[in-house]
Amino acid sequence: MVDFSLTEGDQRFLDLIQEEYELGRKFAREVDREAEHKPPVVKTLHPALEGKPDPYELLHESDEGTSGHIMVDALMHMVSAKDLDMRPEGLGFGSMVLEDFGTDEQKAKFGHLRLAIGLTEPGAGSDPGNMASTWRYDAATDEYVLNGEKVFISAINKLDGAVTLLRGVPDEQGRRVFSSFIITKDMKGFHEMQQFQKLGMHQFDIAGFTMDDIRVPAINRLEADFGRTMSRFNHNRPLVAAGALGLCRSMLDFTKAKLAEGGIEVDYARGVKARSAAEDKIIRMEALWEAAWGTVMEVKWKQTQLGTTSLGYRTEASMAKAIGGKAARQITQGCLELLGPEGLSEDYLAEKWFRDARIADIYEGAGEIQRILVARDVLGYKKGELN
Amino acid sequence: MISYELSEEQKIVRSTMSEFANTVLRPETRRLDDNSKIDDGVLSALWATEIIQSQADADGEGRSPVTNAIILEELAAADASLALAVASSMGFVQAIADQGSAKQRELLKAFAGPKFQAAAIAMMEPSFSFDVSKISAKASKAGDEYVLSGKKAYVPLASSCSHFLVIAESDGAADAFIVPRDAAGVKVEAPKGTLGLRALELAEVSFDGVKVPASMRLGEGNGADIQKIVDSARVGLASIMAGLSRGVLEYVVPYTKERIVHGTPLAQKQKVAFDIADMKIDIDAMRWMNWKAAWELESKLPATRTAQLAYTYASQQTMQIADNGLQAFGGHGFVKAHPIEMWYRNARSLSVLEGVAGV
Repeated sequence: MVDFSLTEGDQRFLDLIQEEYELGRKFAREVDREAEHKPPVVKTLHPALEGKPDPYELLHESDEGTSGHIMVDALMHMVSAKDLDMRPEGLGFGSMVLEDFGTDEQKAKFGHLRLAIGLTEPGAGSDPGNMASTWRYDAATDEYVLNGEKVFISAINKLDGAVTLLRGVPDEQGRRVFSSFIITKDMKGFHEMQQFQKLGMHQFDIAGFTMDDIRVPAINRLEADFGRTMSRFNHNRPLVAAGALGLCRSMLDFTKAKLAEGGIEVDYARGVKARSAAEDKIIRMEALWEAAWGTVMEVKWKQTQLGTTSLGYRTEASMAKAIGGKAARQITQGCLELLGPEGLSEDYLAEKWFRDARIADIYEGAGEIQRILVARDVLGYKKGELN
Repeated sequence: MISYELSEEQKIVRSTMSEFANTVLRPETRRLDDNSKIDDGVLSALWATEIIQSQADADGEGRSPVTNAIILEELAAADASLALAVASSMGFVQAIADQGSAKQRELLKAFAGPKFQAAAIAMMEPSFSFDVSKISAKASKAGDEYVLSGKKAYVPLASSCSHFLVIAESDGAADAFIVPRDAAGVKVEAPKGTLGLRALELAEVSFDGVKVPASMRLGEGNGADIQKIVDSARVGLASIMAGLSRGVLEYVVPYTKERIVHGTPLAQKQKVAFDIADMKIDIDAMRWMNWKAAWELESKLPATRTAQLAYTYASQQTMQIADNGLQAFGGHGFVKAHPIEMWYRNARSLSVLEGVAGV
């Protein structure tokens, strides 16, 4: 049966995470001002959370009485803005790839590592075919030799290493085969770069690394080709959209509260001609928020039915990411427009949310990439027919 | 517990309606628009689906707004006018089944007959400043009756309606009155020629000092919750808009794949492909919003906010989808050889109506 009710269990998790986000919000401005200059190599729990259980860990332990851990995870992302990472960095995207596609031997050897994912390069973002980094096999030592540069790597400065996707040097047919390797920071030839200075998301560590003749044995090579490595995106993309919607929820609530202080209350009953331009704008932004919410929850429901590694929900995942990215841009831009000059002030978080949200339509696959994937599915085109 | 799973019954209803809409309704759609009339054969076919009749059940057990949202989307994917013909009578029947007194519900027995029984909620008024929150029609109480005066507009199939549920202001609040079409003082004007939804014969109905017994005030002594009628109408219209949008997408896909421009199919050009992706994204999003609002109605939860948001999103995006669909066809989008120009007219029409449907 179609059902949109939250169970008591769902609500309990949402309350827990909301409380945590509210605590983080108190430190949001300070971190926004300073994080990039003083990278918080936080590996410990923020003191404000001392003694409080990690809601995600609790959910991982048991999702009994909830709509299911995949659904609740997404709902938690959408509760409000996550302004601060207050817990030790968990497993990175790379660790998930290892978990999904590593052999038992690889999991035993590398399972304890927290691994980022290294895909993007300065000249290859949305188009991985442009990757310049290389791997080659050295038969003399039975090792793989890795070279190149990876950028925009989430949390690399907090994690132990990365799963990095590289292209082989051309083989006899001239093909450059994609392959993934586990690398760690202690390897000779691994150089970590400085944090990026960026528009927003200062609380979010992003840096890069270079590989200068890193030599790894065969066990470090994952049987995760390009497609398999990317399949994790189907799980992550809707969550990125969900996180952006959480931010937009805070932005909308803040804007509505401030407008209400000035006597502008949104009335959802009246028609379009009986409301002010400000009310109308709020309603249209909230409509977009709901549209994105429904899309995120639908793909998460489908993921629950099909299993996370299924490719059966990838178009829906792209749809969620595309509409979430659009919502992030339009809602934060629109709210700041409504808030007027006072919204520009650093006394409030609205201007920070405006800066933070902009990346949502870029990372984890830009809106244009998502639309290509959706259009290919709708039109029955393959890669090469629509690029 | 959040779920998007349709019941077995809903799955059957959806596929049955889809087939009915494609095979029976779709071939008629241009002809009906040209003639500005739905002929008896088509009305009988719609009636035979028993969608309207099944709403009459007073305890609401046999009625599912979620199922109705699904049905309206399927019908509208073939023809929005016909979907609204159903939704209009459905809205009338539901309002009475939901909020009517036992005596008022007796009227619904007339809906058990073999012929299409038109009836409509008369909400909108012929004024450029009309808004559902500002009803001009007045009903003043005089003894055991109300005297109803005012003008209503864009009433579907008005000249065939047996009854109208007239929304009028009474004692400072909106109220609803059940008025037979043949009551003294009721005048149905000739159908207006309208931009879109032409087959619906949208017409003005004037009420000039019409005497309505107090027993025909919806809900009798306690009056009715008019907002509930508006909410349900918004979800109904939004479902029809989702269907219309889907019709556009399904028609645009094969054309843009076949049409070669500067050496490649239109659909392989990013601008066109991205428009198509956005259509798909928005149509699905509309559907989930409609389901959520319908589920709230079904669960007897306050639905005003979600209904407004579903209606607003559908109104905005449906116009855009029809617009981009027409653009993809170029000159062919502007001529009547293709249905796109009709859908473009219907999209704008649907998205300005209020209070005229129900789920």
